[in-house]
Amino acid sequence: MRSAVQARDESVGSFRTRLFIAIMVIVATLTALGFYLAQRKVTADAERNLQANFQAEISALHKLEELRHAALAERCDVLAAKPRIHAAIEDNAIDLLYPSAKDELRDLMEGDEPPPEQAAQSLHARFYRFLDSAGMVIRPPNPNDVGELDQKTEAQLNLSSLPYTQQIGYIRETTETGRGTIDEVIAVPIFSSDTGDVISVLVIGFKPLELEEKHSGVGMRSGVWVNGQLHLPSLPISAQESLNEQIASAVATSDREQNNFRVNLDGAPQLLFYKRLNPGSLFPAAYEICVYPLAYSMAELHRLRWQIGGAGALLLLGGFIASHVVALRFSAPVKKLALDSEENRAQRKRAEAALASTTEELERSTRYSADASHQLKSPVTVLRVGLEKLLTREGFKSDVYEELSALLHQTHRLTGVIDDLLLLSRVDAGHLQIASNPVNLSQLVDQWLDDLSALPDSPDVKIEKELTAGLFVAGEKRYTSLIVQNLLENARKYNRAGGLIRVSAHGNGRNVVLSIGNTGRTIPAGENIFERFHHRSTPSAASGHGIGLNLARELARLHGGDLCLVRSENDWTEFEVRFPAADGVNAVA
Amino acid sequence: MRLRGLLWFNAVFFIMPVALLASAVVEGRVELSKSHSAPVQAKRYEIVTKGGVLSTQPPLAVVYLDGASPRPASPATKEVAQKDLTFIPALLPIQVGTRVEFPNLDDTYHNIFSYSPAKRFDLGRYRPEERPIPTQVFDKLGLVTLRCDIHDHMRGLILVLNTPYFVMTDTDGHFRLSGLPAGRYTLKAWIDSRTTREKPVELKNGQTLHIDFP
Repeated sequence: MRSAVQARDESVGSFRTRLFIAIMVIVATLTALGFYLAQRKVTADAERNLQANFQAEISALHKLEELRHAALAERCDVLAAKPRIHAAIEDNAIDLLYPSAKDELRDLMEGDEPPPEQAAQSLHARFYRFLDSAGMVIRPPNPNDVGELDQKTEAQLNLSSLPYTQQIGYIRETTETGRGTIDEVIAVPIFSSDTGDVISVLVIGFKPLELEEKHSGVGMRSGVWVNGQLHLPSLPISAQESLNEQIASAVATSDREQNNFRVNLDGAPQLLFYKRLNPGSLFPAAYEICVYPLAYSMAELHRLRWQIGGAGALLLLGGFIASHVVALRFSAPVKKLALDSEENRAQRKRAEAALASTTEELERSTRYSADASHQLKSPVTVLRVGLEKLLTREGFKSDVYEELSALLHQTHRLTGVIDDLLLLSRVDAGHLQIASNPVNLSQLVDQWLDDLSALPDSPDVKIEKELTAGLFVAGEKRYTSLIVQNLLENARKYNRAGGLIRVSAHGNGRNVVLSIGNTGRTIPAGENIFERFHHRSTPSAASGHGIGLNLARELARLHGGDLCLVRSENDWTEFEVRFPAADGVNAVA
Repeated sequence: MRLRGLLWFNAVFFIMPVALLASAVVEGRVELSKSHSAPVQAKRYEIVTKGGVLSTQPPLAVVYLDGASPRPASPATKEVAQKDLTFIPALLPIQVGTRVEFPNLDDTYHNIFSYSPAKRFDLGRYRPEERPIPTQVFDKLGLVTLRCDIHDHMRGLILVLNTPYFVMTDTDGHFRLSGLPAGRYTLKAWIDSRTTREKPVELKNGQTLHIDFP
C-alpha cells in the first residue's frame, strides 16, 4: 500500500515536470520566434531606409541628368540646324567642324566651374567631341578649345553605331594623382535637316559626380562602377579592389538593374546598393554604387536582442512559477483521478475473476452434463434391453408384466431425458449447427397430433387445429420436430380432464408463428418456467424433468426464432413459437 | 593694199567656213532617274539630297566633253542669283577659271558659303543693294555645294569642269553639243553628285554623232 502511494506521488511529480518542460519549450519557441521576427524587421527596416536614401540619391542624380539633357537637346537641335555644321559634315570638311561649332558651344566651355549645387543650371561642360558616321571620335584640330583629353580617355567616347536618342555614359579619366575621376558624358545625335538621318553625334563630358557631401550624415559613401572598375574615392584602393570583384560578380549573375547585398569593409558590415545609371545605353554599363554602414542597425538589433532576451527570461520565470501553480492545482484532481482509477481497477479485477469462475463453472457443468449423458446412456440401454428380454419371457404373473412394461416405459423416458441433456450440452457448448432447410411445419404438427392422440395414457382432451396447409419454416427438421413435440406433450401433460388443446399456425411473410394453448392449471406469475431443471412450485400428477422448455427455447433461438409464454390465466395457458419462414417456399402463405 | 585687203578678207572668209565645217555635233539622250514628283511646268528646279546624294529636282544632267580644254581667251562671268530663298540656277556647270557672281535678289540678308573641297569660301552677310556684287573664281575642278548660313535649306551646285564644251539636258534628258573639235575624247554625263556616266567618242569634222547614256 505504501509503495502504491509512493508511485502515485512520483507520477504526480513527473506530471509537474512534464508540464514545466512543455511551458519551457513554448516560451523558448516564442522567444526564438521573437528574435527571428525582430531581426527580420530590423534588417528589413534598415534596408528599406537605406533603399529610400539610395533612391533619393539616384533621383537627385537623375534630376541633374534630366536638366542637362533638356538643355542639351535644345542646344543640339539648334546646332543640328546650323548649315555650317551640316556643311562641315556633309561636304567632308571635318577640319571646319569644330571651328563651326565653337561659337555655338562656346558658353559650355567658358567660365569658371560652378559650385556643385548649381551644376545643373550652369551646364558647365569639361569637353566635347563629335563622332563621325562610324561612331569614332573626330579629333579636334585644337584640343584646347574643346577640353583636352588623353588618347585613352578619348577612345572611351567611341560608339559602335550612331544612336537616334541621347545616350548616357560614364568614362574614367586617370589624373596625375592616379586615383582617376569619373565624367558623365551625354551623347546627342545630330540629325540631318534634309534627310532626317543621324549625321553625327555630339558627345559632351561633364564634371565628375559629386554626391557624397550631401549625405555624409548617414556615413554613406557613393561612387560609380564603370567598365569593371569601381570609383569610390572615399575608400582606400585595396577596399575598392575587393568590392570591385563582388560588384562584378553581382552584376554578372543578376539580370536586375538594381539590387543590394552585404559586404564587409574593415570588418564592419555594410550594405551595398547598386543601380544601373545608363540602362540601354550604347556606352559601357555604369552603376551607381552606395555603401552604407550597418553599424547603426546592428546596434539597434543588439539592443532589441537584449530586450527580447530579457522578455524571454522573464517569460520563462513566469512560466516556471505558473507551471508550479498549475501543476499543484492540476495534481489534486489528478491525484483523485489516480485514486479513483485504482479503485476502478480493483473492482474490475474482481468482476473479471467472478466472470472467469462463472465461465469455468458453466464450462464444467456443460462438460459434466455431456459426460453424464454418455455415462448414463449405456446403463439405461442395458437396463432396457434386459427389461425387453424379460418381457418376452413367459411364465410371469400378469402384474409382473405390467410392472416390467412400466419399467420399460421409464427407461424410454430416461433415454429421452439423457438425449435432451446431451443436446442441451451441445447447445451450451455452441457445438450445435443448425442446417437451414425448408421444413413443412403443418405436416409436422399434424404428425405429432396424430401421435399424441395415439398415446395410451392420454387424458380426454379435445384438440382444435387451425393450420394453414404447407407452412414451411427454415430449419432442421429434427430440432423443429423436437420443439413441436415438447410443446404438444406439455399441452397434453398439464391439461385437465375434458380440457382443450388448440393449435394454430400462420405465416406473415418473414416468420411463421405457431401457437399452442391448453386448458388446465395456470402457471403462477413470477415463475420462470424456462429455467433449466425447473420444477413447478405446485406439484401435480404430471411431472417433467425440467429441461424440455429450456431446450425448446434454446433450439428455437438457434433457429433464429423464439419461444415464449403468451398468457397463462383463467384456465388457459398459451405458448407461442416463432420460426423464420423458409425463403420463397410458402410465399402463398 | 587691195591684195592685202583681199587677203585679210580671204583669210577671214576662208577660216570662218572652215571653222564651221570643221565642228562636230553630238546629240542623244541621257536616261535620267525617275522623278517622283509631278512634272513641273515652271522652269525652276532645285537641289535635293537623298541619302547624301545631291541632284536636281526635276532630274537634269550635264553632258560635257572631257579632255578638250583650251583655256578661255577671257574669263567668262556667270551668275548664281538668290531669289525667293533659292539659288537660280540651282545647278550651274562652268569651265574652270570662271568667275561667278552671287547677286542677292531677295529682300533679306544671305550668307553664301561653301565647305566643299573644290572651293571653300564665305561671302559673309550681304544685302540686296550691296555693291560690288560678291563674286568668286572657281579654279579647281569638282562639285561645289553652295549653302546659305542664314537659310539652312538653301542648296546650290556649281559643277566646275575642265572643258568649255558642256550643255544641260532638258527634263527628258535630250541634249545637243555642237561646235566640238575633232578628235578622241570622253563624253561624260553628270547625273548626280555620285553618278557620272562616260563614253569614249571619236569626233570627225562635219559629223553628227548620236550617243545615248543608258
